[in-house]
Amino acid sequence: MFAAVYAAEGSSFETLLAVARDFSPRVDACGAREVIVDLDGLTRLFGDAKTIAGELRRTAADRGLRVRVAVAGTRTAARLLAHDRAGITIVEPGDEPAALECLRLELLEIFHEPHEPHEPHKPFEPIPTLRRWGLRTLGDLARLPGDEVAARLGQPGVAWQRLARGEDPGPLVPSVPDERFEQALDLEWPIDGLEPLSFVLARLLEPLSAHLERRDRGAAVLHVRLHLVKRDGVTREVHERSLQLPAPMRDARTLRTLALLDLESHPPAAAIDRVVVAVDPTPGRVVQFSLLARPLPSPEQLSTLMARLTALMGEDRCGAAVTVDSWQPGAFEMRRFSPGSGIRDPGSGGSEVRRIPDPGSRIPAVAIRRFRFPVAARVTVDRGTPIRVTSDRRGLNGGKVEAHAGPWRASGGWWIHDRVTSWERDEWDVTLSDGATYRVFRERDTDAWFIEGVVD
Amino acid sequence: MANHARADIETALRARKLDRTLTTALPREHRDEAALVAMDVPALDACLRGGLPRGQLSEIAGPSSSGRTTLAVQAIAASTRRGEIAALVDTFDRLDVASAAAAGVDLDRLLWIRGQSWGPASDFALRATSDRSAGPDGAINRALKALNLVLQARGFACVVLDLADAPPAALKRIPFTTWLRVQRVIEGSDTACLLVAPQPLARSAGGLTLLLAGRARWAGDADRNRHLAGADVTVRVVSPRRRVDGEVSVRATANDSR
Repeated sequence: MFAAVYAAEGSSFETLLAVARDFSPRVDACGAREVIVDLDGLTRLFGDAKTIAGELRRTAADRGLRVRVAVAGTRTAARLLAHDRAGITIVEPGDEPAALECLRLELLEIFHEPHEPHEPHKPFEPIPTLRRWGLRTLGDLARLPGDEVAARLGQPGVAWQRLARGEDPGPLVPSVPDERFEQALDLEWPIDGLEPLSFVLARLLEPLSAHLERRDRGAAVLHVRLHLVKRDGVTREVHERSLQLPAPMRDARTLRTLALLDLESHPPAAAIDRVVVAVDPTPGRVVQFSLLARPLPSPEQLSTLMARLTALMGEDRCGAAVTVDSWQPGAFEMRRFSPGSGIRDPGSGGSEVRRIPDPGSRIPAVAIRRFRFPVAARVTVDRGTPIRVTSDRRGLNGGKVEAHAGPWRASGGWWIHDRVTSWERDEWDVTLSDGATYRVFRERDTDAWFIEGVVD
Repeated sequence: MANHARADIETALRARKLDRTLTTALPREHRDEAALVAMDVPALDACLRGGLPRGQLSEIAGPSSSGRTTLAVQAIAASTRRGEIAALVDTFDRLDVASAAAAGVDLDRLLWIRGQSWGPASDFALRATSDRSAGPDGAINRALKALNLVLQARGFACVVLDLADAPPAALKRIPFTTWLRVQRVIEGSDTACLLVAPQPLARSAGGLTLLLAGRARWAGDADRNRHLAGADVTVRVVSPRRRVDGEVSVRATANDSR
């Protein structure tokens, strides 16, 4: 059996939910001031349905709530009765159609009300239609032939008729209270360094990971708070780090590795006497692998790899390159490497299509090795063309120009009035006597020559 | 007599589990296409008998402008085109993103690990310092560590280590055991590791060595209309086990937007 508890206007929903949870963990919040409580198994604790309903009202009144309570064999019937009648209403299982027989048709609107108070209320469209048909009560609607209702109103009409008969559209889905995924440990003696901290993190993350697994949740963000003790032993401060994870994950070892790698780059300034680990939960990841696509590294592996590479090479030194919409020579951006996002599985037949570079011809394109900072060069010019290029850089031999092409004049960013982002230059391709082909350019405003890259 | 002695030696090596070094224990030729990373250049793939072997360390060696980067980028492009992921350990940060994209590299599928951006040898400041970790040696060490991490992560079809601009002295200081260790890491995996250097370094028994020589190809007969049309690259394929040897010419085109 189910009890619908309907609170008076202006009541606190949190208090109402707390009252319901005092009786049963199987509680469904179905409106801004209404909850359904599953009464199965409660009779041995509280007594019969009438006693339970009385206890519910009394507990709610103790907490300052005025409520109506209706108990019935179905949730739908209980809700309709709670909205219609004040006080306590008890309907034995099987008697719901008779109990709902004379209720107003407009009561069906409660199934159309917004769950959140801020959502706008929309009128329930079929009521005027049913009124025009001469229907006044739920019993009138319940008695209509089902196939005729389906023919005129379609599947929604059938659903309304089932509600009018007091039938539930589905099983009860209990509302789960918001859980905090957090673990903390106070240390008897402050610890210094990451090695002892790794053991503490493992001890905290393992139960946290098990908790996430029980709830089928993954960590979207990992927060590590380290309470530090200064040398004077009195001053305290908190060293806090937050890691945005690329995919929901709950593997304790991976989370610990990521936290430690991050703390290696951003170490705490003093000894630690309290460690708090918390995660922002998100629904667990469901992965369906394909037989047709080559397997990619899992997000856990990729996150660990990227964290290790970032610790080794530095921030923004690892990732995927992106071309930018600019004529600035060598312009690009870096972004996070996530090869799995948005890839079209050739076997899925999905509609998402991503730009894949044109396979084009089977002729390779010449690549350039670009100096991120152009190398200053000494160029001898004869009749406007370079005839000799040398540089102080070891490894760039330089020599006589054997073939050349150019100049190509390029300029841009001049409207910004910033020497770093603007360019105005003449570019040349030159093959030198050492056999190497370079791309060189002359800055027009300074008349200085630079080697931009090697054609290789 | 000689046959008996040889058989005894082979038996002794097998007893000590060192028979992998025997020519009689060589694996069969790579006939399986899935065990090869094709370069998508028909002439070169024919010469390589399908492509670069997976689970082996191969290398591209040649002087500047010989087409080393062109072929390395081509291998990455071919790999990403097949829906695989690739990684480039760019020791001295030399990749030109625009030309890689023009070569057909799916940049979303390329993990680019950028080293420090100094010159082929070093600049004046680096020459003055005696701290090797700040110069090319440090950059090479970091690149090798990054390569190791990427290879251990698995899942990458093609991993390229670019040492093309490393000074010869720094390359000589890399212990040879480094390449044996790299070979052990990728053994049995689906990864084809490719080393780009001015000279052969690894000489892996199972991998291939591509020795390059190239020249720029110019188009136009007058100063006004002359432009870089591409490069003619001669690839000599050397296999320590003499199973894939040969020479092939590859024409690369300049994909210039100017």
